[in-house]
Amino acid sequence: MASLTFNHLNKQFGSVKAVDNLNFEVKNGEFICLLGPSGCGKSTALRMIAGFEEPSSGDILMDGKSIIALPPNKRPTAMVFQKYTLWPHMTVYKNIAFGLQLRGLEKKVVEDKVHSALDLVGLKGYEKRLPAQLSGGQQQRVAIARALVLEPQILLLDEPFSSLDAHLRVRLREELKSIQRSLGITTIFVTHDQEEALSLADRIAVMSSGQVEQYDSPDIIYAKPSSLFVAGFIGSMTLLEAENKGSELKLGNYTLPSSEIVKGKDVKVALRPEDILLADANGWAAKVSQVMNLGPFYSLVLAIEGLGSVKALFPKTSLLKEHDQINVLPNRYLIYHEDGVEEITL
Amino acid sequence: MEASQLQRPKAKLSKQAWVAYALIAAPFLLMVLLIVYPASLSIVRTLRPEVEGVRRFGLENYQAFFSDHTSVTNLIFTLWSTGAIIGLLFAICLPIALYLRFTDSWIAHWVQGLALFPLFVPGIILAYALIRFIGPNGLLETFIEVTTGWQGYRTPYLKPAGSIIGLVWEGIPITVLILTAGLAQVPDNLIEAARDVGAGRLQIFFRIILPLIGRSLLIAFALNFLGVIGAFTLPYLLGPAAPQMMGPFMQRTFYNVLNPDAAETQAVITFLLSSIVGFLYVRSAVRQQKEET
Ligand SMILES: Nc1ncnc2c1ncn2[C@@H]1O[C@H](COP(=O)(O)OP(=O)(O)OP(=O)(O)O)[C@@H](O)[C@H]1O
Ligand SMILES: [Mg+2]
Repeated sequence: MASLTFNHLNKQFGSVKAVDNLNFEVKNGEFICLLGPSGCGKSTALRMIAGFEEPSSGDILMDGKSIIALPPNKRPTAMVFQKYTLWPHMTVYKNIAFGLQLRGLEKKVVEDKVHSALDLVGLKGYEKRLPAQLSGGQQQRVAIARALVLEPQILLLDEPFSSLDAHLRVRLREELKSIQRSLGITTIFVTHDQEEALSLADRIAVMSSGQVEQYDSPDIIYAKPSSLFVAGFIGSMTLLEAENKGSELKLGNYTLPSSEIVKGKDVKVALRPEDILLADANGWAAKVSQVMNLGPFYSLVLAIEGLGSVKALFPKTSLLKEHDQINVLPNRYLIYHEDGVEEITL
Repeated sequence: MEASQLQRPKAKLSKQAWVAYALIAAPFLLMVLLIVYPASLSIVRTLRPEVEGVRRFGLENYQAFFSDHTSVTNLIFTLWSTGAIIGLLFAICLPIALYLRFTDSWIAHWVQGLALFPLFVPGIILAYALIRFIGPNGLLETFIEVTTGWQGYRTPYLKPAGSIIGLVWEGIPITVLILTAGLAQVPDNLIEAARDVGAGRLQIFFRIILPLIGRSLLIAFALNFLGVIGAFTLPYLLGPAAPQMMGPFMQRTFYNVLNPDAAETQAVITFLLSSIVGFLYVRSAVRQQKEET
């Protein structure tokens, strides 16, 4: 178990800046997700921790000591890959035992460790199988066991569940989280799936073109995305053009209270669907233009004159249907301006 | 459900199967006419030696071969050369293929091109080029003398090493091609995973890469074995007069010694040795196809 610090970390591939001045730290025992769209540099960042890529500049510190001079086989990290994770010519047992044998451990010790690692991922009795005789989910479990059996300081996972079906993905996610909690191992998990990141991480680093846009707890990232990019990437959000009129924001025919800080600036208003509530006749007049059934909720698209489409989330008990005329008002919204974001709760 | 699964292919078979049969009919007939039929005839003929003017079944031809010192020496020499050539080919081509697989630079592309170059040079031209290069008073000897003043150069031309050098040179392109193709199938992740758990270069090579390219190694072995054991041009032009590899030996027995029965026996023995390797190769190919479906 260890802490990890990125110090002005850069990686350049030719003219592509894959990782651009990464600066953040991971606490001992923390579960971090690197989240971002394809090509934003998540894998590159992870591979620099594992030692598969050399930083162009900057440093990575583990418990305060630089590790970038160490080759991958000397680093106390263990990696789980997305695809082709297991050695196909070795049985499950040999896959997990390989690293232990390289360390020259006694046969009995290796045996015990492999068995308890398999136990941990719920695959007792699969020792003799070849990877080809396992399902995709079982293969990833073995890969996790293989990584954990070496008792690494830091566990690295690069989209380990993204080739699995949705159901299995959720189950393995829960299993991984409980293993991580019980071992207390510092974990860095790369994903482009915001739901996965929100449900797993203690903190999420949202990345965009090589840079970290925001590094915060899932609650804060969800409630108050620090930029329009993060807002668009996490959860569902309606963005509205607004005219800044001193103490008020003018949205089409309607107004919302403004904040001192944004005075005189160009602004955009962002609304979470669950912050849109039914209102009396003073509210915004809206027509229900689409209803989607999400199980316990309806996800609605509302057409509001002069504003455009606004997403909303209502309980089933609201009994709304398409073409219904309703009135709504937000009870919370975010104002994005060139210097940041303001949160307003009514 | 099982019954319907068993029946469905039958109904479909007729149309597709006829197309398939028609497509393989021509090569199959050619193979029977040009290989299976004459080979069987030869095998049968060698088993019916002429003893005191009459042909009858017997093993005299083979007894003659295996009791003749020259024949046995030549067979052993051929197998020994084949082993040495294949060993050298792997020793030379595996590093080249590994280099090509794990480096991405313009030098690697040039090396690849160079490694394939002998493929475009006919064997006979290659033989004469090698004679000019390694032969007596050849380029290599002159070069050594001029640069170092050392005069002890002894040419491998017309010695066992001569045919070995020629055949290794000839075998490099196909071996590099097969091995690079095999290595290309090894995903980076598997190698990185091995590095991640602490494996060094040698451990990765022996424990991960070699087992994963086993099939390519077998293919390279089989193709080179088949090519070398029956080789004629290069051993004839570059190799020693005695011992001889089976190719030139057969030719000499047939044209110079004028003993067609003995030549045919030599051919059948060479053919049987090749068939063993051919069988291993085909079995592995079929097994792979089964695994893939
Ligand atoms: N070995 C490489 N050589 C050249 N460019 C590379 C290399 N690896 C990555 N890149 C580039 O660096 C950028 C970041 O790549 P990276 O693989 O880190 O993205 P990612 O966030 O993991 O994306 P994905 O979600 O698709 O896996 C991309 O523009 C990619 O093309
Ligand atoms: Mg990636």
